Amino acid sequence: MIEVRNLSKFYGSLCAVNSISFSIREGEIVGFLGPNGAGKTTTIRILTCYQPATSGSATVAGYDVFTQSMLVRSQVGYMPESVPLYHEMRVCEYLHFRGRLRGLDRPARERAIGRVAERCWLTDVLRRPIGQLSKGYRQRVGLADALLHNPRVLILDEPTIGLDPAQIRATRSLIRELAQDHTVLLSSHILPEVEATCQRIIIINQGRIVASGTPTELRERITGTSRLIAELKGPEGEIAASIRKLDGVTDVQCRLRDGWVSVSVSTQRDLREELYRLAAARSWPLRELRRDIATLEDFFVKIVAGAHETHTEAGASGEK
Amino acid sequence: MRNTIAIMQRELLSLFLSPIGYIVVAGFLLITGVIVLVTESFAPGRPATLRSVFDFTPYVLAIIIPAISMRTIAEEYRIGTIETLTTAPVSDAQLVLGKYLAALIFYAIMLAGTLVYLLLMLIFGRPDVGASLSSYLGLLLLGGAFTAFGVFASSLTRNQIVAWMLGAVPLLLFVWFGWIIVRYVQGPLRAALQQVNILRHLDQFNRGLVTAESVVFFVAVAGFFLFLTVKVVESRRWR
Repeated sequence: MIEVRNLSKFYGSLCAVNSISFSIREGEIVGFLGPNGAGKTTTIRILTCYQPATSGSATVAGYDVFTQSMLVRSQVGYMPESVPLYHEMRVCEYLHFRGRLRGLDRPARERAIGRVAERCWLTDVLRRPIGQLSKGYRQRVGLADALLHNPRVLILDEPTIGLDPAQIRATRSLIRELAQDHTVLLSSHILPEVEATCQRIIIINQGRIVASGTPTELRERITGTSRLIAELKGPEGEIAASIRKLDGVTDVQCRLRDGWVSVSVSTQRDLREELYRLAAARSWPLRELRRDIATLEDFFVKIVAGAHETHTEAGASGEK
Repeated sequence: MRNTIAIMQRELLSLFLSPIGYIVVAGFLLITGVIVLVTESFAPGRPATLRSVFDFTPYVLAIIIPAISMRTIAEEYRIGTIETLTTAPVSDAQLVLGKYLAALIFYAIMLAGTLVYLLLMLIFGRPDVGASLSSYLGLLLLGGAFTAFGVFASSLTRNQIVAWMLGAVPLLLFVWFGWIIVRYVQGPLRAALQQVNILRHLDQFNRGLVTAESVVFFVAVAGFFLFLTVKVVESRRWR
């Protein structure tokens, strides 16, 4: 449904998007994840025909975003990050205006507005001026606008930013519902957000795709570096030495805390059973034993921080 | 066409909902009222004509019209709605034309407010109705050209006040420049510059002369600046 090949965008000499490629199938719900300034909005703006790319190509619903811009625009429902609206207009006036731009005649607009107002819980505020609405309601007006013409592709830039927790949950479940009828691409810089709503995640940083896959796939890639946390009572040096002898242990770190030795074991395998047997054999009391599986959050932070480090190193060497 | 009308109607709604619109209309009517008073157009024994009022109008409109058109495109950029507007299936030309027509209609409604003076003249005297109508046609055409320039100025910035300045200052200079031509320039240069003298074109309408030359001049100026505006809006995508 969305096909992106070697897409690049430069602002002057600044590279915002650096030759990225990905594709999204029909009916998929894909999260575009990255820290602020990673190139998410730029990519989205190219896909929605707001800005042209510097190089590369992209098609949405089979149409090229550059040469068949009008056809792409009619297939896409888009909610920009800032949700720009005309504050002096009433909600229904605004939706009527947007419907007219989408080529809907009056009866079709009435039906469409009724449908989206119900979906986005706007029925009570249709007669209110947009300027009087709270941030949460404005966000819903933006979403209603994107849904008005029942688009095949829905592109949402940071759909839950600035909402309260209850609204975030409601919006997430709405997006999941929408995925039944639309292909959805949403961006976010918050990982749990994407993890909760999307089938697939594309992580982007400094204009490049650094990882992509389902949340499960991404998690599998990182469990390799899991850790074992244990707290035992006994001689610190002896504990460290005997654990180090266990099969598959790469590193052991011990720390004495109010009479208990807190051990952190880096390992590829699940060593909980062996550790229990070891403690039982030496009759060391054991009060904690758990496997610390890295979360996607850790992975995300590591990728972003790692890229950041290499970036600052490059910057430092450049200064010399 | 449908998109153009939708954009025009929305822009008109915003113009009528914003205080700026009313301030501009009030300002215009106040200034014209003062001019009517100062030129003593209604003094006993004077010919029943508004010509002396119309002589000042280009200067007033050079300031007033950019104030009507200043928000048209600048505001879209400032609040970001340009993003939803240009990602809907709307061409840049439709967008610019819709904005232009809204500002022009607003101007026409404002101008209609001065018809009260013509009405008073009709009650108290016998003005030349034909010449008056041709004067109004001239002012509409002048407004068409000025509005196009104002919309162009509005497309260059996201700040309404800057858009107003960018529109009003060149227009004022241009009107004043017409006056300078008549005063100080002689010979073939004068003949050439007279072709773009707004005051001369307007004067023809005030004398009751609707010439193709003057109509084409105003329409061409409007078309030229609307074309430039479309190009500016297009080019801003690439930045």
